Parts: sequence; C-alpha cells; structure tokens
Amino acid sequence: MVERQYMARLNMDDNELRRRLSAFEITEEDLQRLASLRPLAERHMDGIIDDFYKLLLSHEEMRVHFPDEATVRHVKRMQREYFLGLFSGKVDLRYVEDRLRAGAAHERIGVAPKLYLAAYSRYLRLILDRVMQDVTDVAQACQVYASIQKLVHFDMALALDTYLAASIDTITRHQAAIRELSTPVIRVYERILLMPIIGTVDSQRAQQIMETVLVRVVEEQARVVILDIAGVSLVDSQVADHLLETTAAVRLLGAQTILTGISAQVARTIVRLGVEIANMHTCSRLADGIELALRMVGKRIAPEMQQRSE
Amino acid sequence: MATRVLSRQEMKIDCEDDVLLVRRRVQMLAQQRGFDPFATAALTTATSELTRNVWIHAGRGQAVVEEIAEGGRCGIRVQFRDEGPGIADIERALRGGYSTAGSLGLGLSGSRRLVDHLNIESAPGRGTVVTILKWARLR
Repeated sequence: MVERQYMARLNMDDNELRRRLSAFEITEEDLQRLASLRPLAERHMDGIIDDFYKLLLSHEEMRVHFPDEATVRHVKRMQREYFLGLFSGKVDLRYVEDRLRAGAAHERIGVAPKLYLAAYSRYLRLILDRVMQDVTDVAQACQVYASIQKLVHFDMALALDTYLAASIDTITRHQAAIRELSTPVIRVYERILLMPIIGTVDSQRAQQIMETVLVRVVEEQARVVILDIAGVSLVDSQVADHLLETTAAVRLLGAQTILTGISAQVARTIVRLGVEIANMHTCSRLADGIELALRMVGKRIAPEMQQRSE
Repeated sequence: MATRVLSRQEMKIDCEDDVLLVRRRVQMLAQQRGFDPFATAALTTATSELTRNVWIHAGRGQAVVEEIAEGGRCGIRVQFRDEGPGIADIERALRGGYSTAGSLGLGLSGSRRLVDHLNIESAPGRGTVVTILKWARLR
C-alpha cells in the first residue's frame, strides 16, 4: 500500500519515531494529558467538526474539494476518527501510518499544502475555543493546548513529508521521460550517423547511448558514428570510459567513431585526468567531424563549379 | 596564515544523482567566486570523480563543501567522507590506472592533478576522508 511506501521512504521505524517525538518535545506526560481529555473531546467532537467544515466550505478554493453531500459526510466520518486519534494517548507506528495515509489522500486529490495548513490552523483555533470554555484554570488550559498543538504539528510534519515524497516521485518520473527523449541518432549521410549527447551522462544514460548507437549502426550499416559532446555538462573519467567503451564496441561492428564538440576546458581536463584517448578520432568542431566522416566513406565536400561566361 | 571559512554545506551522498548535485553546487560556488573556466572545470571534475568514488566504493557518505579565505585569496575546499572499505595502498591508488571497481582507475590520481591540494586519510575497514582544495587564480 501507499502508506507502507511512505513509511519506508521516511525510514520510519521505532528510532525515527522517537527522534520525531523528541523534536516536537512530545512527552509521555503530553500523551497522558491528551488521553485524560478524551471525555471533553467526545463531548465537543461533533460541534468542532461541524464548525470546521462550515469554515472550509465558506472558502472558495477549499470548497472545490467537497463537491457533494456524500463527500462531506465521508470526510466528516474520517475527521471524527482523526480527531479522537489525537486523544488516544498513544503515538506508535500505527498512528504514524494512519497520519501518512491521511496526508497521502490529500496530496492525491490535489489539496494544495497552503490549504492543508490553513485548514489545520482553523482546526486548532476551534479546538482552542472549546478548551478555553471547559478548562477554567488558565494555566491548565495552556498546558492542554500546548499538548494538542505539539501533536497537531507532529501530524502536519508527516503530511508535508508525504507531499514532498510525492513531488520527488514526480521528478523521478520526469527524469526517466527526459532520458528517453535524449538519445537521438541522426543519419547525416549514407552510412554516417550522428549522436549529439546533451546534459549529464550517468551510468544509465551511458548504457542507453551505447545500446542505441550499436543498434543503429547495424540497422543503417553505418561506417562512421559521430559522437558530439558539445552539450555534455562535464566529462570526467567515467564519461570518458563510456566513450572509449562505445568506440570499442562500434569498432567490433566494423565502424569507427569520431568524437566532436570538445571544448578547450574539456580537452585540458581530460589530459590532466590522464585519460588515454589516442585511439579515437577527435575534432573540436562538429563541422570538421562531418568532413572527416565523409572522407572515411570516400566522399568529400567540394565547392560548386563556377560557370564562367566568356 | 589564518584560514576563514566563509560558508559550509554538508551534502549526503547515497545515489548516483548525488554526484550531480554535489558537483553542481561546487560549480556554482566556483563561478560565483570568480574561478576561470579552466579552474572551474578542473575543480568540478575532481568533485565528480571523488563523489562517485564515495558512492561506488562505500555506497554512502558525505561531501562537505566550504568556501574559504586566506590572506586575500579565496578557494573552495571539499571534503569527501565515507565509512566504506577504505584504501589499502594509498600510494598505488594515487599512481592511477589501478581500480577495484573495473573503471579506468583515474579518480584519485586524476583529481590530484586537477586541484591545488589533495589529502587522503584512509585505512582498510576504517573508511576514507579525501579533502581537496583549489584556489581562485588571481587575475
């Protein structure tokens, strides 16, 4: 289930739970105080929750998340469980899982974090009103409210973590999509292929480059593959290693590679690193690489014959 | 001479994407501090090599990126720490062309040639701390 994933993503175990509780300064005393408030909580539960949804429904952006009566009834039921959970006197891994489920549900239906926090703020205020009504001793009321506030913030942190984890998932999916887009092979001329390599070459990308190049060399019966690295952000020994490997594999298929788009900084860095690229054809500019490739297949670029009128 | 630390950031290393994040950070600082393009490329490449070493050999670790100033010049210092298997023969690792991971084996030796100072503290089973420093060239 989704919550289990989040539990794992947040490294949620007894130790992490302890660290979190200590960060929010939630003590056994707080939990006991909350448990002792259970009767008060039960008495006010329906009133607080009715007021809470009245407030939410009065706000335009929040209202869209409650399209019909059935939804409102459903969320009110969930909210009752949530509310009583605050006064259960126990915060264990099951409690956390429950909170993460709530956070994930809100993220899934697209409740913006600002609205989520705004709703929490309203919620806290409604609770405070009731506490002030019932607990006449001010010092005691403050203590009670402090305990509630700590636990609610603890819950908010969990909800925000599910939001963050969900965003990271989205980014990861986008990265995968970009990777797929980023290994184009262009047929420049008969038997000459060009692969412009752009961005970062990590090990996954390098493997993809190698496989794409080899497949296309066979398909097109290519003799020359130009690898243009002008758009590569950094050439370190791993990138160099990948380029050398690709060159060796291409050679096994009876073709050759030309490396182009080498900047002055990259040239200097590669030499300093000690990478041996003597057995690769290299050109600084792509245009030179294309000329060299044409020569390799027995063609050349020549100026157009000028017709002279006598 | 007194060295002042102008900024300090700790970054975790536990996946390949962290190689990118750490070196981006270093590259950005180098550019802001007026490193020329050659020095920026050298420092960024060394950072890339050493971050990857942490990831490949130890699986996880940290990079501590600092901007430092000393007697009117400024530089960038990066410390790579891990609790991995450590390096048995530092001399050999620094000569280059030797790898326990099937790569070119140029990470340490190459990095040393790309920066102004490189220091290694390591022993088998005791993890590795590599510190590099590069000064912005006076122009």
